[in-house]
Amino acid sequence: MKILLMGHPNVGKSVFFNRLTGANVIESNYSGTTVDYTCGYMSLDGKEVEVVDVPGTFSLDPKDRAEEVAVAMLKEAKDAYVICVIDSSKLERGLYLALQIIEEGYSVIIALNMDDVAEDKNIEIDNQKLEQILGVPVVSTIAIENIGISNVISRLKDAKPVDVEDITAGRVEIHHCGGCGCT
Amino acid sequence: MEKRLSELNFDEEGTVKEIDESLLRQVAGMGVRIGKNIRMATKQPMKGPVVVEVDKSFTSLGRSMAEKIVVEVKK
Repeated sequence: MKILLMGHPNVGKSVFFNRLTGANVIESNYSGTTVDYTCGYMSLDGKEVEVVDVPGTFSLDPKDRAEEVAVAMLKEAKDAYVICVIDSSKLERGLYLALQIIEEGYSVIIALNMDDVAEDKNIEIDNQKLEQILGVPVVSTIAIENIGISNVISRLKDAKPVDVEDITAGRVEIHHCGGCGCT
Repeated sequence: MEKRLSELNFDEEGTVKEIDESLLRQVAGMGVRIGKNIRMATKQPMKGPVVVEVDKSFTSLGRSMAEKIVVEVKK
């Protein structure tokens, strides 16, 4: 099993990576800090799982080298789980990328990172509604403070490929395997 | 009134009406799509990039890209 961390530049993928694997890759408040990928390992249910910190990309149509790396990584790992990290205060454009990845048939889990920043901007996000619409797990996180990371891990099991046509027709269903504490 | 995005004045707002085919997909990932509300936030001098606000977040576009986007300006 392989987990890819994908998302726009400067949303906190590397912070996420460090929290998941205990590694210490460079994190900074600039777009394009990660230009190449880093692999690490974490244990999930006693098994070792590969986690990949992918460079940030705006869409799956690459515009520069770093984005090419990102898209190539995704295409190489067809059965990977994708944690799509989204900046909660820029939800709309993040969802664009998330939908593109879902469209490619990956098992996606959405991490709405920087929840505190969104809160400062008076942005409130209804996670459960988003889950209902998209049929993929949606978890709020503040990676830098290590909040919500364990929820993401426990909800990984709920991630499964979703047909985009089912999303547009409103036919998706989300199953909770438990472990996240919600009902 | 229609204007190119690059011609918008500071703080002027409008709705995206037309995006050149060549950069349609390129700007979509940054939130700039047809029908979106867009506001000019900054215009850098010397034909520098423009910064626009879409959905409460800012994105910068090269001047040449902004010239290929048509906006219906709000009065």
